Amino acid sequence: MADAIAEFFEGAAARGPQPQLEKATGTVRLDVKDGKRLERWFVSVKNGDVKVSRKNAPADVVIRGERPLFERLFTGRANAMAALLRGELTIEGFDPQFLAQFQRLLPRPQDRRRSTPRRAGKATRR
Amino acid sequence: MSDGIVKILDGNTFVVSDERGDIEASLTDPTGLFSYDTRFLSKWVLTIDGQRLNPLSVDDLAYYETRFFLVPGTGTVYVDAKLSVIRHRTVGGGFREQLTILNHDEKRVSLEVRIEAGSDFADLFEVKDALKKKGEYYEQVKGGQLLLGYERETFARATRVSASTRASADEEGLTFRVRLEPHGSWSTELEVVTMPAVHEMAGLISPARRSAATMERDLERWLADAPRLECDRDSLKSTYRRSLVDLAALRFAPPVAGGKHLPAAGLPWFMTMFGRDSIFTSLQALPFKPELAATTLLALGEWQGSGIDDFRDEDPGRILHEMRYGEMTAFEERPHSPYYGCADATPLYVVLLDEYERWTGDRKLVRDLEHEARAALQWIDEYADLQGNGYVSYQRRNEKTGLENQCWKDSWDSISYRDGRLPGFPRATCELQGYAYDAKVRGARLAREIWKDDELATQLEKQAADLKRRFNRDFWVEDDEYFALALDVDGNQVDALGSNNGHLLWSGIVDKSKAKAVVRHLLGERLFSGWGVRTLAEGEGRFNPIGYHVGTVWPFDNSFIAWGLRRYGFKAEAAQIAAGILDAAEYFDGRLPEAFGGYERTVTKYPVQYPTACSPQAWSTGAPLLLLRTLLGLVPQGDYLIVDPALPVEIGHLELLDIPGRWGRIDAFGRGRVEVDHRQRRRSAAR
Repeated sequence: MADAIAEFFEGAAARGPQPQLEKATGTVRLDVKDGKRLERWFVSVKNGDVKVSRKNAPADVVIRGERPLFERLFTGRANAMAALLRGELTIEGFDPQFLAQFQRLLPRPQDRRRSTPRRAGKATRR
Repeated sequence: MSDGIVKILDGNTFVVSDERGDIEASLTDPTGLFSYDTRFLSKWVLTIDGQRLNPLSVDDLAYYETRFFLVPGTGTVYVDAKLSVIRHRTVGGGFREQLTILNHDEKRVSLEVRIEAGSDFADLFEVKDALKKKGEYYEQVKGGQLLLGYERETFARATRVSASTRASADEEGLTFRVRLEPHGSWSTELEVVTMPAVHEMAGLISPARRSAATMERDLERWLADAPRLECDRDSLKSTYRRSLVDLAALRFAPPVAGGKHLPAAGLPWFMTMFGRDSIFTSLQALPFKPELAATTLLALGEWQGSGIDDFRDEDPGRILHEMRYGEMTAFEERPHSPYYGCADATPLYVVLLDEYERWTGDRKLVRDLEHEARAALQWIDEYADLQGNGYVSYQRRNEKTGLENQCWKDSWDSISYRDGRLPGFPRATCELQGYAYDAKVRGARLAREIWKDDELATQLEKQAADLKRRFNRDFWVEDDEYFALALDVDGNQVDALGSNNGHLLWSGIVDKSKAKAVVRHLLGERLFSGWGVRTLAEGEGRFNPIGYHVGTVWPFDNSFIAWGLRRYGFKAEAAQIAAGILDAAEYFDGRLPEAFGGYERTVTKYPVQYPTACSPQAWSTGAPLLLLRTLLGLVPQGDYLIVDPALPVEIGHLELLDIPGRWGRIDAFGRGRVEVDHRQRRRSAAR
């Protein structure tokens, strides 16, 4: 499988401003453990803009986990809140709003199915 | 408290024990120390020289602390005890128990005092459904303290038991060797700490440790800050106070709310954030505690759905149904992380946001939550119209552990035809259309006045008018003049008569010309029991006066029905319902249960409590508050508060002082002038 994590972040940065993240401001550091290797990602959010970098920077929140978990999270096959409750994902410097906001960035299992939305007013009426 | 069960709580940490203060839980028995949906103690038994103790009395000092007075002996005959034992327990971050033993004898005594401790670390869902555990237990003894632990893969929970004086610990408890001088006393403080995990997630679910003094000050402030009620009827004053105290007890600070509180749904099963319950309770409490609404809106907004997840029944814009923190949620054996299967919370979210602004004038919050409110409004059209017929309906996508009924009457048989048949899915229940209508009307106001989006406002108003027109045509049961419970898959009416008609009045979706007929039913003999409006009318196929949603009377339901009656100008009828429910509250010492039997008042004379109803329950606690609002006819209008009282005669004089709102603080007065029959149910409505 291609690097799901890198792919996700490229996508997130390319998507442009995200109104659903308007209230989040700060930097999250992701510590992705891969055997003995530790990969770090820095995600900064400001007024809905998402910037991703591999360059060291001070972080407000640190999220830690193993690579397979992050891959599942970033492809919509795992849920961040459940992983946190299991202790599989850990958070340091927990800003309570952050997990909810972070979760908004993550895809959901059936997102692909989202079809052209029905619009009220055009549906069949008796 | 009744049934020999003593409960104390702080947020979602609570202790349920017997009258001795002991806990001996089984898998199916909801006693123990619970925190974040996990049982951290299932055994907590005190003995002196190997003997259990007998209760003399229990003092419920406050919702967070209790004192047990005990004596040794068998309890079969009264013995002139030479020892007394006092257990003073305070909940918070687990609990602390001040254990004091008094020697009344002239002789010195030596005692072996032992506390047995154990935990099954059951998830609340396991207690409810009696399921087996999948992980491993361990015990650790270190110095005088005992650590009880449970692990399943990366999931870990632990309980630490220690004492302030020297104890010898073993894997099953702590033992103290106590020597008491003549008339002497001995005391120790036992401490039980709940530890969600040894990992860094402690920050997420470690409950804040607060001392009893802090909690007492907090409760005093909470009470002092609420409007003051003066009234000729003492029972109403005590019901009011009970409601405020219980509402304080049911406050819950979810990890996403930055230490602020919103109402949890109820003890013991529902001490968590629920979309529907938190919203309804916040609405009821608005004239008294508007800050609850603000937190509810913020926290539910944080967790608003943002993708499509069938397991959690999540859609973009959908407001959550229920959040849980236990093991089964962690391992995705239950979808509550959070679960979104609920069709009413999303439109009600917009209703609450508008009502909150009308009371408080807090435009900033309405601007801050613009994205969330728009997404909620969009959900109604794009994701809730499952049949493409312009009505909100529901059908779960998680068929294993999702909720079948996603309206407030969520039991399996609540929605039925007159002959008792059950419709298939999706179901478009009537009150959902009312809430959607109200959300659009209120959303239009917010769009026009605060978000400055005339286009959206006009669109919403047009949609609302269209929905109202279609609804009054499609749901109206012509032959008997009321609104059907639902439309089924084929668009046919699910034609039983239920209390849902009252919610329709509250939402304003009912054509003026139809209101009178609806009111005639609500206060007619099939629905009105004399205490309140039954969930389902007598004579329907599934009617049962002690059926959960098919005949019982729900105080919360009635409080919204009374509000609806006022909205359409039926003041006397609203007063009649308020009087019935407030009378019932007297029989429950001011604490209304979730539901009580739908028996006729003239037959039973007192309200019969529904067997397993949860208590205190947030929206029952909120019911007297909303009833006070409807009795006084409080309506915020611009910067003014309209007061238009219609009180039952025997309430006499009623004053509600210092009502907070955009007007600052204001007083409302009323005098009872409405004749209400307390013995007979009304044979027909007054109009």
